[in-house]
Amino acid sequence: MAEMESATNVQFESAFRRPLRIEPFLGSALGTLGGLLLSAALRNELLSGALVGMAFGLAFGLFFARRAIGPGAGLICGLGSSFFLWLLLPGGFLTLCIRNPGLMLQHAQAHFSELVGYVLCLGMPVGLGLGLRGSLRTPRRNREFAWGRAIVAGGFAGTLGGFVFGRWISSGAYPLLAGFRELDSHSLTIFIHFAVALLIGVVFGILFHQDVRGYGPCMGWGLGFGIFWWFFGPLTVFPLLSKMPLDWSSEHGSALFGSLVGHILYGLILGVAYATVDKVWVRLFIQSDPLNREIEGPGVHILRSLGWGATAGLIGGLTSMPVMIATGVLPKVAGPDSNVVGLRAVLIHLCVSATIGMTYGLLFRNESAASGDAIAWGWLFGLIWWYLGPMTLLPLSLTGASDWTAKAASGLLPSLLGHLIYGAVTALTFFMFDYRYTRSLLLDPRFSARELRRLRPKESPAPALWLFALSLGVILPILLG
Amino acid sequence: MGTFSRPLNHTDVGILGPRSNSARKYSRGKSINLVFRQCSVGILSGAVASIALTASLRYGLWSLLLGISIGVAYSITAPPGRRAYADNLMAAGALGIPLWGLISVVAIPLLSRQMPEWSAEQMRQHFPALVGWVVYGALLGIIKQGMDDIAEHFFGAHSPPETPAVSIKKRIVILGGGFAGMRTAECLERKLRGDFSTGITLVNETNALLFTPMLAEVAGSSLEPSHISTPLRTTLRRTEFIRGVVAEVDLGRRLVILRGDEATSGASARRHVPYDHLVFALGSTSNYLGMTNLEKFAFNFKTLLDAIRIRNRVIEMFERADRESDPNLRSALLTFVIAGGGFAGVEVAGALNDFAHGILADYPNLSSHDLNIILVHSRERILPELSESLATFAQEKMQSRGVSFRLSTRILDAHHGAVLLSDGKIQTHTLVWTAGSTPSPFLKSLPFEKDRRGALLVDGSLAVPGHPGLWAIGDCAAIIDAATGQPCPPTAQFALREAEVLADNILAQIRGRPSRTFHFNSLGALCVVGHQTACAELNVPFARRKTLRFSGLFAWLLWRGIYLAKLPGLERKIRVLMDWTIELFFPRDIVQTIDVS
Repeated sequence: MAEMESATNVQFESAFRRPLRIEPFLGSALGTLGGLLLSAALRNELLSGALVGMAFGLAFGLFFARRAIGPGAGLICGLGSSFFLWLLLPGGFLTLCIRNPGLMLQHAQAHFSELVGYVLCLGMPVGLGLGLRGSLRTPRRNREFAWGRAIVAGGFAGTLGGFVFGRWISSGAYPLLAGFRELDSHSLTIFIHFAVALLIGVVFGILFHQDVRGYGPCMGWGLGFGIFWWFFGPLTVFPLLSKMPLDWSSEHGSALFGSLVGHILYGLILGVAYATVDKVWVRLFIQSDPLNREIEGPGVHILRSLGWGATAGLIGGLTSMPVMIATGVLPKVAGPDSNVVGLRAVLIHLCVSATIGMTYGLLFRNESAASGDAIAWGWLFGLIWWYLGPMTLLPLSLTGASDWTAKAASGLLPSLLGHLIYGAVTALTFFMFDYRYTRSLLLDPRFSARELRRLRPKESPAPALWLFALSLGVILPILLG
Repeated sequence: MGTFSRPLNHTDVGILGPRSNSARKYSRGKSINLVFRQCSVGILSGAVASIALTASLRYGLWSLLLGISIGVAYSITAPPGRRAYADNLMAAGALGIPLWGLISVVAIPLLSRQMPEWSAEQMRQHFPALVGWVVYGALLGIIKQGMDDIAEHFFGAHSPPETPAVSIKKRIVILGGGFAGMRTAECLERKLRGDFSTGITLVNETNALLFTPMLAEVAGSSLEPSHISTPLRTTLRRTEFIRGVVAEVDLGRRLVILRGDEATSGASARRHVPYDHLVFALGSTSNYLGMTNLEKFAFNFKTLLDAIRIRNRVIEMFERADRESDPNLRSALLTFVIAGGGFAGVEVAGALNDFAHGILADYPNLSSHDLNIILVHSRERILPELSESLATFAQEKMQSRGVSFRLSTRILDAHHGAVLLSDGKIQTHTLVWTAGSTPSPFLKSLPFEKDRRGALLVDGSLAVPGHPGLWAIGDCAAIIDAATGQPCPPTAQFALREAEVLADNILAQIRGRPSRTFHFNSLGALCVVGHQTACAELNVPFARRKTLRFSGLFAWLLWRGIYLAKLPGLERKIRVLMDWTIELFFPRDIVQTIDVS
């Protein structure tokens, strides 16, 4: 097994270092087509769109193509880089440099349609295209692609997510198919909902099968994918299918803000379900094989991660508590009418922090090779829990209903910082525990090889995910609120 | 990202552990150069990238200083990679979001003696700063990567400082993998976590630690044999484990010589293990008091194989009795004699009694009248280690469940089909010997002072007097409690504590520090006497000679809970727990696994 890994590594390294010849041209071509499409959608001048697209595609082909080692990785890199391009051009950085910064938010809101356009017309096709090219060019280091596993796990996860989400949504005030015209038949609505859920799940499995490794990253990828699907589905495809005009304005986005939160939560459910099915698959068919036996069994890992996670979560909770108190969130955990920071609220906060810390330990272990990675995953974790906690579960548990409106999100923005701080501190503390333990493990050379296999590889598109998911997860509530 | 990165091979770990002085200086010098280099990269890249901050924050020089500070922090924490522009752009760009929150929204207002501006409206007003921070982060990432590539071109690649591999200077060899030996190895591993100049080797005849408190349950078919054994290789991480039998110890050359395999012949098959410190933790064996017939006909009760043989013997006797027409012979086949009324004897008698009565239902030709479980003990009462009341309770309980007692009786001899007692004879085909133990016979070959049992005499620090570097603990050592002056009993709880003190003392001697003496107050004793029945006597801390006594179901739950917690290995605990749970719903297994005819 070690020899096979070594041969694959050599193959990967040589392919990785091969000069990029076709990619810049391919990127330019795809970008130009995307730019034309963008201009058509926004009813702008075709030439300017084509030029922007070509420049984007060329830059992507030159600088990002090495990271696009598969369609999923390419898509995430494309989405992240297209968002960054929007931030630079229409989003406001140039405005910041040239004009009055006070108008920047309005400027960004006015150009929200370009954000949608850049993501769907530039980032998506260029990223997918070069990602496909990358998959042919570079063998994956750590995981072979398994169609059956990707489709079965993704399809099951998507359907399960659709089922859970559908039951939840249909009992509330939000439409099941946001952005779609209202159908006369409820059964048809349900059918389309599940068909879309299945499709999203299968696509998720095929695209990200080789990138997602555990529950935590699956949730992160699910969050990013959920944001992407909000752009793709309710904002774009559904109106087109309903023969309605395309409306990418910030007002329309704001009206569909609840659907954004819904897509994010669906993405999280999808991620967890996918990870569960995938892990069961791996456990049943791969790890059960004695030839693939690892030195340490999963039981010991889980207990250790739970213990470290609880401690790390407690420390994170203590660190973020001043912010939670100052923003008025902490008293609310004691009850909807509570405005006082009492012992009960503090104890509940710390218990919840420890419990959520345990989930970090279970979901994100083996993701961080370094402290910086840990902090980045911690931020994403904090963002996930902001959508899950104050936006969804807390009002659900206290009042029986969640409020996903842009206004509600605006009101909860202050606690977002507290969640980000909590996530980062928890993740960093967990990493310190893990680091200390790994040092002692590495006395045995077998462990160092195993740790290399278990750690996220350096060619991972995780940084692109961090940029796309973290940025849009924070910016969209501000922009659309 | 992260200079504080996980080491990924065991040679890297050597960088983190103690090194020679010159290697330490060399690596310190290299580290300082590296930090200086990273700081320089951070300053330059932060300064250039802070253009974005200056445009968004509009604090002029403060924006520049802020950008430089963050640039230095990012550069130090993010290890340089080669041409990772995309990664750095994305990762550092993502960094901009939390930095915006922490600095623009929280820190700057606080420093201006205002409340953090984290309401929705205020955060919207900070949107320009948000864009600026993201762009700053992206620029920082790209520029930092560029600077790293330039630095690599001019100053060479960044690589962790190389240090010579650490050589082993001291070797600690432990003979025996029981409670004492394994615990010593565990303690040494924990205390030597960062010190790779000291090697630890453990030699044992089997490759697992046997959890003897649960051995009776294996004999009684309540537990699977392997579930109470913990593999030494998986438990000990940095200890070299050798499965072997010690042939001799060369004290002059400080070598342990292991016996060769039977399959190979010649002296070359024997292995030599050098040591600087040698620990004798060889345990004890059964003492047949010189009666060779007993040794020949009796079943031992020390090892896992012994327990398996006893279990299969019971089943074998039942199978034979089932087809036996002679009632006397049938009764003799179904008579099981246990010699010794201490903890081991009582527990195995209770376990066999439950097992034998339990499987009667599978043998319709046999009756409970034919079945006899007899415990023979030389003293007036069983369980001399416990108080009289508990011993009386245990005896009465066992009698009510069908165990017979022959007290104040000695076993004089045994032959096929019968056991001769001091006051009679019992027709039986099964005798289980638990009546005595003696330290490992290997100790006889050692030229050290021993007590009348044959255990090695040691001083207060558990060292063999007059022989530096030699130590002894556990059942094979005669240890005097430093506080009470009393001999320490050869039990597992004492062995575990002796091991902890021994590990400290060995390291103290290596490091030139004073060693400490051994003292331990027994926590108490527990004994299972039958189904859901046990006796427990727990010592009250800080109250001399005061004990808490429990009996019955509560004591049995206490026994199971305590020993389950002490069983090494989570996996073993789960397996034993599952065995106990299955036992609640299904009868005990009567499958014969080995032939003991």
